[in-house]
Amino acid sequence: MEVFFQALINGLLIGCFYSLIGMGQSLVYGTMKIINFAHGEMIMIGMYLTFVCSILGLDPYLSLFFVAICAFGIGVLVQYLLIGPALEQKNSFTNTLFLTLGLSVLYQSGCLVIFSSINRMTETSYSGITLYFGNISVLLPKLISFCFFIFITALFFIFLKFTSLGKMIRAVAQNPVGAQTVGIPIKTIYMISQGISCALAGIAGNLITQFYYTRPTVGMQFNFKALIVLALGGFSSLNGVFIAGILLGIFENIIAVFVGLAYKDITEFVLIIAIMIISQMYKRKKTLKSCNAVNLIDRRNNE
Amino acid sequence: MNNFSSSYARRKVFLKFIFLSSLFAIPYIFGANHYLITVFIAMFYTATLSLAWNLLRGMTGEISLGNAAFFGMGAYITCILITMANMNPWVAIPITMCIVGVISGIFFYPCFFLKGPYFALVSLAFCEAVRQFFMNWQFIGRAKGITLRYGEPSFLNIRFYSKTPYYYIALCMVIIVYLFIKSIEKSRLGIELKKEREQKTNSLKNKIIILIFSAMISSMAGCFYADYYRYVDYDLMLQTYSTSFILPAVIGGTAFVEGPVFGVFVIIFLNEILRLKFGDIFPGINLFLYALTLLCIIRYNPEGILGWYMKSKLKLWIDENILKKTAAEEFNA
Repeated sequence: MEVFFQALINGLLIGCFYSLIGMGQSLVYGTMKIINFAHGEMIMIGMYLTFVCSILGLDPYLSLFFVAICAFGIGVLVQYLLIGPALEQKNSFTNTLFLTLGLSVLYQSGCLVIFSSINRMTETSYSGITLYFGNISVLLPKLISFCFFIFITALFFIFLKFTSLGKMIRAVAQNPVGAQTVGIPIKTIYMISQGISCALAGIAGNLITQFYYTRPTVGMQFNFKALIVLALGGFSSLNGVFIAGILLGIFENIIAVFVGLAYKDITEFVLIIAIMIISQMYKRKKTLKSCNAVNLIDRRNNE
Repeated sequence: MNNFSSSYARRKVFLKFIFLSSLFAIPYIFGANHYLITVFIAMFYTATLSLAWNLLRGMTGEISLGNAAFFGMGAYITCILITMANMNPWVAIPITMCIVGVISGIFFYPCFFLKGPYFALVSLAFCEAVRQFFMNWQFIGRAKGITLRYGEPSFLNIRFYSKTPYYYIALCMVIIVYLFIKSIEKSRLGIELKKEREQKTNSLKNKIIILIFSAMISSMAGCFYADYYRYVDYDLMLQTYSTSFILPAVIGGTAFVEGPVFGVFVIIFLNEILRLKFGDIFPGINLFLYALTLLCIIRYNPEGILGWYMKSKLKLWIDENILKKTAAEEFNA
């Protein structure tokens, strides 16, 4: 029983991280309807920025704001130069997919040139402290990161729900044409949402440097996790992605403990395939059942 | 297949013939330069994989990020058949293609009403799931990988000391695949799929057939890879491998059958030249410049190099001066 609770707590701690990267991916998908395959590499850039700050003497959690601003800037730049012009052409989904694939290669090789492929570790004086709650052990940096995750997620949701900029982003996500009609500057909103997504990825990278090795290829696994969380939580729904991330972390840890470490990844991928097929089949049946004119127009717009 | 009555068409075929025979002659001229032969062999099997991916993309419009899974499965199943069932490699190739075709057909049958991003994600998940499965499968020894036996060079066992026979085998493979895909375009299957693309209907049966063809061609490249490198492991199905033959197809132009072949030539030459010139200045700077070039090409030419060429003034100049296309042929084309 204790093993189960330990796995649950571990899953919760890592699940918050998955939900944060999933929310970044879901924000971009919701506004721009593209999948960003360079999201994992953005996390890696966040980790490297934190590593640089810690070499210069700054504590990893204190450099959170700086990393977020840098990542926001990178996201805005990438959107302005690369992805923005590609969105205006036809076949925008496939073009941006290949662009982001190339971008991920660029980020990886850039970090390889600057930092070389040695495993780096960001360590502080409190990196190895373990807290004990009854029989359950929790690593102190993981607990602090968990608190930061909750704080950042709450801030993000408040931003989206109550500020006017957040309302504009939600409007663009729901209906781009309608948003343009009421005068929302859609290109600026695209740049800002890409910037926020990259900032979220940078923050996520910052918060996990103390228990992951920092190296240029660390972004690949996070890419997959972000896509899995995106698909599990529904593609544009942020609430769903938040819950899906936590559930994925818990599910992963319980499978790792009770079935076997080797089956952790296979079950995740089989799960995502099964869920996508079932959910798409359900959606198709629903729209085919109620086939009036409004639905047909909606379906044509969604394709 | 083509109408050869016009001299423009005849001149085009003559140019292609010159290009092909120069490819056949390269081992005779540069045979001592093993590095060049190795680069060309890599170009040929990557071109086969890119052609298979482009078949799926061009005919059905779906992006599959998981073609590396078919490649890896083909390589693994060939090795299993050769080492554990003592089969002749030449016999194992069609059997592997059938097995991989059946597996892919069964697996992707419920997935084909998924479109766009959903299909891309499912194929990505499939590739990773297959990779993890092969990494943990007890029957083939988990993460050790499979090695093929060494021995006397023989044509029957596809074992040679020098690389030149592998060069010719790979070249024949690319030519066969290219002609096959060209013939699909003009066949009944190709015309039905073109009609579906333009009318945006969705027919499961034709798409499944194209996917099975794509999987079988990828697995044929996998069989060649296994016989050439003589060691396979689960890292063949990494996402980076999948990207390494999607990007050449995009650079070359996905709308044309020659696009992936041309893209592979350009990309691999670019990669090797960058590695030779810049590889020793900083580790990794060749990858950085390579990624930068890719990004520039995709950003400014989403249709690829061949897409640019078909609309460019260069083609007009070449058509008029080298191929001597007359006004009558221009009208008929």
